[in-house]
Amino acid sequence: MGGVLAFQLYDWHYFFAELMNGLTLGSLYALIALGYTMVYGVLKLLNFAHGDVFMIGCYIGWFVLTGLGGVLAPRVPLVPLLLLMFAAAMVGCGALNVAIERFAYRPLRNAPRIAPLITAIGVSFFIEQTAVLLWGANPRQYDFFELRNGTLFNPPAFTIGNLSVQYAQIFVITSAVFLMFALALFVSRTRTGKAMRAVSFDREAASMMGIDIDRVIMVTFLLGGVLAGAAGVMWGIVQSSFNPYTGFGVGLKAFTAAVVGGIGNIGGAMLGGILIGLAETFTAGYLTSTFQDLVVFSLLVAFMLIRPTGLRGAPVLQKV
Amino acid sequence: MSAEVPTPSGPQIGADEWVARSNERILGPRGPFGAVVRAIDRTPRIIILAVFVGFVAAIPFMTSNGYIQGVATDTMLYILLAMGLNVAVGWAGLLDLGYVAFYGFAAYMFAALSGGHLFTGGVLLTDWPTPAAVAVAIVATIFLGFVLALPTRRLRGDYLAIVTLFFLEIFNNFTNNGDRWDWLGLGGTHDVTGGTTGIIDVHPWRIGGTELTNYSRDYMWVALGGFTVLAVALMYANKSRTGRAWRALREDPLAAELMGMPVKWLMLLAVAVGAGVAGFAGSIIGAYHQQVSPDEFTFVLLITVYAMVILGGAGSLGGVVVGAIIVNVLLEVLNRPDHARWVFYAAVLIGLIVKVRPWRLLVAVLGGLVAFGVIVNQIVGAVWPRGVDGPIAVGPTAFTKQGFFAGAIRHWLVLPAHTYTIPHYTIGNYAFVIVLGLVLALTLVKGWKRWVLLVPMIWGAAFVWENLLIEQAPTVRPLMLGVILIVLMTTRPAGLFGQQRVEIV
Amino acid sequence: MTENGAERRPLLELRELSVAFGGLKVIDGLDLHVDEHEIVSVIGPNGAGKTTVFNLITGVFEPDSGDILLDGESLIGLAAHKITQRGVARTFQTLRLFLNMTVKENVMAAQYGRTKATLLEQMLRLPRARREERRMNEVAEEKLGFFGERLMGYRWNQPAYSLSYANRRRLEIARATATQPRILLLDEPAAGMNPVETHEITELIGKLRDEGGYTILLIEHDMHVVEGISDRVVALDHGVKISEGTFDSVATDPRVVEAYLGTSAAVTK
Repeated sequence: MGGVLAFQLYDWHYFFAELMNGLTLGSLYALIALGYTMVYGVLKLLNFAHGDVFMIGCYIGWFVLTGLGGVLAPRVPLVPLLLLMFAAAMVGCGALNVAIERFAYRPLRNAPRIAPLITAIGVSFFIEQTAVLLWGANPRQYDFFELRNGTLFNPPAFTIGNLSVQYAQIFVITSAVFLMFALALFVSRTRTGKAMRAVSFDREAASMMGIDIDRVIMVTFLLGGVLAGAAGVMWGIVQSSFNPYTGFGVGLKAFTAAVVGGIGNIGGAMLGGILIGLAETFTAGYLTSTFQDLVVFSLLVAFMLIRPTGLRGAPVLQKV
Repeated sequence: MSAEVPTPSGPQIGADEWVARSNERILGPRGPFGAVVRAIDRTPRIIILAVFVGFVAAIPFMTSNGYIQGVATDTMLYILLAMGLNVAVGWAGLLDLGYVAFYGFAAYMFAALSGGHLFTGGVLLTDWPTPAAVAVAIVATIFLGFVLALPTRRLRGDYLAIVTLFFLEIFNNFTNNGDRWDWLGLGGTHDVTGGTTGIIDVHPWRIGGTELTNYSRDYMWVALGGFTVLAVALMYANKSRTGRAWRALREDPLAAELMGMPVKWLMLLAVAVGAGVAGFAGSIIGAYHQQVSPDEFTFVLLITVYAMVILGGAGSLGGVVVGAIIVNVLLEVLNRPDHARWVFYAAVLIGLIVKVRPWRLLVAVLGGLVAFGVIVNQIVGAVWPRGVDGPIAVGPTAFTKQGFFAGAIRHWLVLPAHTYTIPHYTIGNYAFVIVLGLVLALTLVKGWKRWVLLVPMIWGAAFVWENLLIEQAPTVRPLMLGVILIVLMTTRPAGLFGQQRVEIV
Repeated sequence: MTENGAERRPLLELRELSVAFGGLKVIDGLDLHVDEHEIVSVIGPNGAGKTTVFNLITGVFEPDSGDILLDGESLIGLAAHKITQRGVARTFQTLRLFLNMTVKENVMAAQYGRTKATLLEQMLRLPRARREERRMNEVAEEKLGFFGERLMGYRWNQPAYSLSYANRRRLEIARATATQPRILLLDEPAAGMNPVETHEITELIGKLRDEGGYTILLIEHDMHVVEGISDRVVALDHGVKISEGTFDSVATDPRVVEAYLGTSAAVTK
């Protein structure tokens, strides 16, 4: 066993491939983590259902794709097809997230924190089971590998010696980074962004300064949903399949990514997502793929126990 | 430098007494339900417990229906789980989302200790005497509770929830793949948990020479006996200084700590006690099912127990027992379409009667509902004959297809034929989403518009029920759990018997 | 207080106490002592660090340097509940009652640290548990009785949130006394009270010392209370002690006037 490990370590091609996979996966986690971190920052609420919003994004993309002929006989060229899928998923998931906030969380705005958390679990459950009810529990795939005879994946976009990168991976990683920067700009430059930060510091004071709390919270959820929808379509493109329960595990990991990076911190969410994506991929690639979840979850538990404020978070001072 | 300040006279005892009592009346539940609750409050707990235990113990004598006895046994196990979860969640206010892992751990421990699967390459631990196996399983689970709670004692609500959920996921990952445990790639392969099949051939309990093989009643009695002891012990614990300390910890951990209560130790204790109760339940289920498999201890089970605790009222021992009974019975009923159908209409009727006042309005709504349905039925029948032609929920009994009730439904609802042969893009699906939208819209409108909207919404819900949901029990059950949680937390977080808490933010 | 010619050591002593949060030094080299059966008041403008001192003493935060001694033994590094069990009890500036528990339960809960029966004993209702439960009941009624009729009788079983504001303040003091402390730290006990209630509270604090035998360290803004009851007054500003002595000497100290009212007021005094 040790010998195989040593050999694999010298297999740079494999290493780099795993690295790219990890970065891609991590970018997806990062996009979803952004939604968690924003909502937690503004409401101090863990939106358990966010992972399932992401899952719905996968399905919306699938419906658009299939509606336009599917991968094997698309009626629309690639770029508009992608745009349509993304647009539909982002709009749909944004709306869904807003609806969840409006109907499930708003009545509990002032309740002790256990209440909205349990409601969130209920909502998550409800969305998962509705998906099973409407669409069945069988996994679905985009089969993007078939698109144009797999040219999104092979031959690779560019190759340096032994190391190669796929178009799809470049696309996912750069889109994620782009969206993160857009979000960061929005939060730091626009009025609504400043309002979001104010609300996350002190909701009552913000409302007394004339900020429309309901609207700010709605925008937060909207943005989170939009990002989750984008992540959903991207998942369909680069991952093998999804089913109604995909959102559960992904959501857990993405929330932990947000915690790892420092909850409420946008750059931190990106960092955390990448780290977890890498950890997961390398564990599966080098250590054990059967127990990959066990290892990753154990690492996450250890992290949360040792440093719950995250890598870039500030410790919260409690006024006694 | 003090001027003469008049001292205030004391409180008017008589007036204040009345004020205090009227406060109690206002705070408690109202109407006939309130009267029931007050009557129950007046009865000493021991009597209620004795009546309940006596009734349940007599069930195997009152009916020989094996199915009902099975439900009774399952319900007793759920009651135990709900009581255990109540300690950490209801009393100490700790959101433990990993609780079911204790249950599973105990089940696996008991199974390993009392026959069944062998640990390859390890020590053979089979066929211990039952008391030893049970005791070790419970103690090991309590120990696990301490071990898991120890590093998490500093975490706040949400973080604690996530970490405990991770524990559950780790447990699931391990038990599901435990037939190929290879020390993460470093050692040989060992079969520790039997993988997805789990541990089979678990020996039954052996007490005083007799084997408990009457599976329809023996384990229910065992669970009932344990329940009696635990219910009394937990009741006393709740009234003791530890119970008060748990409640204080739930209210304000910092203040509790500063009033001399060791908060971290109390958190550990709460988790450990809950784990112990789950441990006892776990040592029963292995023998009862004669096997232990990983898909019994999933997140779905956790949500089920949570729904029971929340519905009954977190923090109320009696409440969670009632919650467990209601939820489990509901789940069982939903398994069979012809029984399930009644549940829906009964629930709608009860809901309307309770919520719609005055009675004139109720009559109007019911009348409108019937009229609406009949009219739609006639229109659809005229335009699209196949639309009203469909069968009424293909169920096993003829009663569902014929008879007065079925006939009434046939003329009231629209039952398109062959909805189930079109895979998934059925009318039912669209109707489901539309009804969901109507339900949400209902929460937004007020006044008379609400009652008007109620009619198509209920009709639509019945439509979805008959055409889509009634067949899909495996999906409807968790769906219902999610709905229960959402509705409860947004409208009545105290559940049925929980204390209406005041939170001053 | 001298006894046999030797200086009796103070019950509570703070030596060179310093703590900083972030870059801000909140308490800087504070020396404070409270002798047994004394009533010492701590005054100062908002943000002077008064509540922080309480937090340091009770173990909510750990100081960066310095020492806190209770009857000669250091409290640094002890868990907060252990400090309470050693004999330090406090009330809070913003009330922190156990609102959903009854009045009596609030006071009984605070006796946790003075009882020993284990959970197992409680579950089995063994004699020690039953005895202690009875005793806790009696102590609770006794502590609540300190406040006259206000928290007695039917009020015992009322949830704490149903009490009026002044009664809640009283309940919090009762709860603190139930931990059987040697020293009581009262954080603005008269905050939000009208003159009648304030007068009552002032008398009550005196009664706590005279009849209850407690030593009292008090944070207050209301000078009527401070003047009416203190043996000694300590003035803080920006985490530093700026004056100490009797009420009259501290109230007229120009540094204190400047801290509260600004330099021009100090000059005109």
